[in-house]
Amino acid sequence: MFIQQLINGLTLGSIYALIALGYTMVYGVLLMINFAHSEIFMIGAYIGLWALTAIPAFASFTITGFIITFLVVLLFSGLLAVSVEKLAYKPLRQAPRLSPLISAIGVSIVLQNLIMLFVSNQSMPLPEFKTTRYQIFSAEVDTLQIFIFCFSIALMLLLNLFISKTKFGKAMRATAHSHSVSQLMGINSSSMIAMVFFIGGALGGIAGMLNGMYYGSIKYNMGFFPGIKAFTAAVLGGIGNVKGAMLGGFLLGLIETFSAGYISSQNKDVITFCVLILMLVFKPTGILGENVTEKV
Amino acid sequence: MYKLISVLFLGLILIAGCAKQDKNVIKVALAGPLTGDIAAMGQGMKKAIEIAVEEANQSGVLKDKKFQAVIFDDRADPKEAVSVANQIVSDPQIYGIVGHLNSGCSIPASQIYAKYNLVIITPASTNPKLTQQGLKNVFRVCTTDDVQGSAAANYVIDKLKIKNVSIIHDKTPYGQGIAENFKATFENRKDKVLSYDGINTGDKDFKALLTKIKTFKPQLIYFGGVYSEYGLLSKQAKELGLNAVFFSDDGSSSPEYIKIAGSASEGNYVSMIGIPPAKLKKAKAFLDTFASKYPGTDLQPYDTYTYETSKILIDAIVKTNMDKSKIADYLATVKFDGILGITSFDANGDTLNKSISIYKAKNGKFEYCE
Amino acid sequence: MKFKNIAIITAFITAIVLPLIMQASANYYAIHVLGLLGIYAILCVGLNITIGYTGLLDLGFMAFYAIGAYIGIILSAKGISFWYIIPISLFIGGTFRYLLGAPVLRLRGDYLAIVTLAFGEITRLLLNNLDFLTNGPKGLPRVGETVLPISIFSFTLRNDIHFYYLIVFFLALAIIVSYRLEHSRLGRAFVAIREDETAAELSGINVSNTKLLAFVISGMFGSLAGTIYAHWIGFISPESFTFWESIFLVCMLVIGGMGSISGAILGAFILAGIPEFLRPVLGSGFIDYRMLIFGLLLVVVIIFRPQGLLPSKRRNLELRMNKNSE
Repeated sequence: MFIQQLINGLTLGSIYALIALGYTMVYGVLLMINFAHSEIFMIGAYIGLWALTAIPAFASFTITGFIITFLVVLLFSGLLAVSVEKLAYKPLRQAPRLSPLISAIGVSIVLQNLIMLFVSNQSMPLPEFKTTRYQIFSAEVDTLQIFIFCFSIALMLLLNLFISKTKFGKAMRATAHSHSVSQLMGINSSSMIAMVFFIGGALGGIAGMLNGMYYGSIKYNMGFFPGIKAFTAAVLGGIGNVKGAMLGGFLLGLIETFSAGYISSQNKDVITFCVLILMLVFKPTGILGENVTEKV
Repeated sequence: MYKLISVLFLGLILIAGCAKQDKNVIKVALAGPLTGDIAAMGQGMKKAIEIAVEEANQSGVLKDKKFQAVIFDDRADPKEAVSVANQIVSDPQIYGIVGHLNSGCSIPASQIYAKYNLVIITPASTNPKLTQQGLKNVFRVCTTDDVQGSAAANYVIDKLKIKNVSIIHDKTPYGQGIAENFKATFENRKDKVLSYDGINTGDKDFKALLTKIKTFKPQLIYFGGVYSEYGLLSKQAKELGLNAVFFSDDGSSSPEYIKIAGSASEGNYVSMIGIPPAKLKKAKAFLDTFASKYPGTDLQPYDTYTYETSKILIDAIVKTNMDKSKIADYLATVKFDGILGITSFDANGDTLNKSISIYKAKNGKFEYCE
Repeated sequence: MKFKNIAIITAFITAIVLPLIMQASANYYAIHVLGLLGIYAILCVGLNITIGYTGLLDLGFMAFYAIGAYIGIILSAKGISFWYIIPISLFIGGTFRYLLGAPVLRLRGDYLAIVTLAFGEITRLLLNNLDFLTNGPKGLPRVGETVLPISIFSFTLRNDIHFYYLIVFFLALAIIVSYRLEHSRLGRAFVAIREDETAAELSGINVSNTKLLAFVISGMFGSLAGTIYAHWIGFISPESFTFWESIFLVCMLVIGGMGSISGAILGAFILAGIPEFLRPVLGSGFIDYRMLIFGLLLVVVIIFRPQGLLPSKRRNLELRMNKNSE
């Protein structure tokens, strides 16, 4: 049972980790909680469903169909995140700190209701995905779980390489450090912010798509809980820190699974939210986070 | 801004209380979820009451007056239901209510109707508590959760010869209520259940719980809740190699269940209140009217019940000669011969015509078992 | 200023007279809606102390409303009179608020928002899961229990209109308390903290205690509204206290005008009232679009009119000055 729960937790955790990256990157650069990120996650799943059903060849899950679907999800959810930023956050760059958060809540309501009103207010099933099951020490694991785990790890490593090794990544880190100084160094901080939103949104959208494939059904309100939990994961690992988001994601997936399996399934979210509050109270910088003093 | 507001307030006083009324109309209200997550069922109820009203008007039972169905949307939300109930009692021409669908809505709303002596007959609210409030104006045409929960338990014990079960419920009044009744009957007749757990609606990952349940090796898992979670549970159990049979209630008996669970739905059971419309001999006329009026529309689970309920209410209004104060007393002693058979009510207002049927998912469809 | 007084007087007269007209024309539904508006207005006036005066974003305010409502029904079912329950509810609500606030208020704004959100969800989940206390999803009162009716001397409140006047009474009380607070030394300390915490600290304000005080007082408004609501409707279940309800309150405040009492009430009126009064006219289908419109409104207001529709005078000035200095 322990190993089975471990597998369950890691699969859940890889999805949380992918969403958490979006929160953490935006926070790192803008010091703002992008509340609408969970809706990008949700819309990513809908774009995935649309791509899978619009082009019949994709539904059979061939490798090329798959890759194209993922590229479509990546592109659209990235662009959506960027346009949200341009419309709803950018005008508020000089406003009091809570304004962008309130604006983000507004965007979140709008996106959720758009899907509910104009797509469907019911659960929508995704085409069934043929998997093979393997047994490891009496625990069951299927190809989809392995795929989700490996795929998200690969994406995260890629992102990490991008941030630490490329020129863009360097510019991004500089922007996070100080907008004005990096601008003086010839970095266009506006386009850096757009890039951060694009990458975060794209990863969130892919997480939504993976989530939809894994559970087989999607709904307009599917973003809320994973969103809050992914945010918890980001805080747990140290918000603003990319490696921290990955660590926090897996950790939270495990915490949630083990509390449901060993303590109480109906109270598992209570436990998750308590972890969030306790972490913020006792170590707001998270496990891997560095100390950020509040800007006066 | 303040100038504008002053004007606005004065305007409000002026327009308050302007309503025009047509004296030759007898209104019957339908309250149910016409929008929101379970709108499909509410829309079905609306069609059913409209058919019943049209038939009554064509037969001319009221001579110079006409029946009219007025439709109210409670969005399956208790707060909205209370608003709607206040809207209904504001209209003196409404003689009775058919509805609501959700027990969570019917219970608070029924208290408001009681204050104004309006009769409410529900075709779909199955929570036993509704008729146990000691209100004289509440009647129910469908069977309750405790009947359904224990009927399921009896079927599991007698027909499926199951010896040990685990129970999951969705922490809603409906799901938890049914699960409690299943548990009580099962433990009364057999043995303690292996486990009894709640899940949160809207959650997607139940693998942690199912992994735990797998270690108990249950033959059957009973789920009290609705189709979306039932689908996910069945699917994830198969993925974990948990080979127990699943059994659930009428909230899960939607074709959507099979879409969500996919091949994992095969061989799982649901119970449903009442007898399937196709098996009711007297329901044929209604089914034909429905099919010709709304071609291509599927019958929703509560359509026949709503039709029957509307007929009972209309009959009561006619028989009491449109005297609101006598309708409740009349219904307490009624013996109505309709498409569901003979309906009469016990002291609480519950129907004595109780029937439950069991279905099994086979080849992507629900098949009638009993 | 003159128009403001006229507006207040007309609003007051309307609040007293309007329901009488509705009662006379048997429009009970409208009275019910007005009562709900009153409840929302009390909540908004309370939340305004946290968000508007002190600048702490609270996304879980409904938790305290829920606590008040549950205390109301649980104690009432035990046979305790409404007038005793009110102080008990204020005390317990305030205590919970204190216990939450004491450790988390030193967090910075957006973290605090998330913590309150988490607390709101914890409360809702626990109300749903602690069946022995709250009867879980089935709600209170249990079968066989009754809510004690409220009586004033020998008069018992029975109809919506009676409760309406009770709510108006408490709303008036809430407004007076909030108004006095705003113009007191303490109220100025709240605003100082909102504008610049460090500067406030340097001017000798004990920032953490002052914040905590604002947080606790505002929570008490929430439990007051909850207790009244529970006695009025007589049935509560956890599903009435979701996250979106808390967000709904924040929308009201932002759109009405953060930091202004009349703005808070106007916000409640626009968001909770107008859709209800339009419902008989436009049909219920349009209610679906309500949240979509509010979401859009929220974004538009925060970008183009951050002071809200009815801004507080002080805040309006500050926002203008900020613009000039930047």
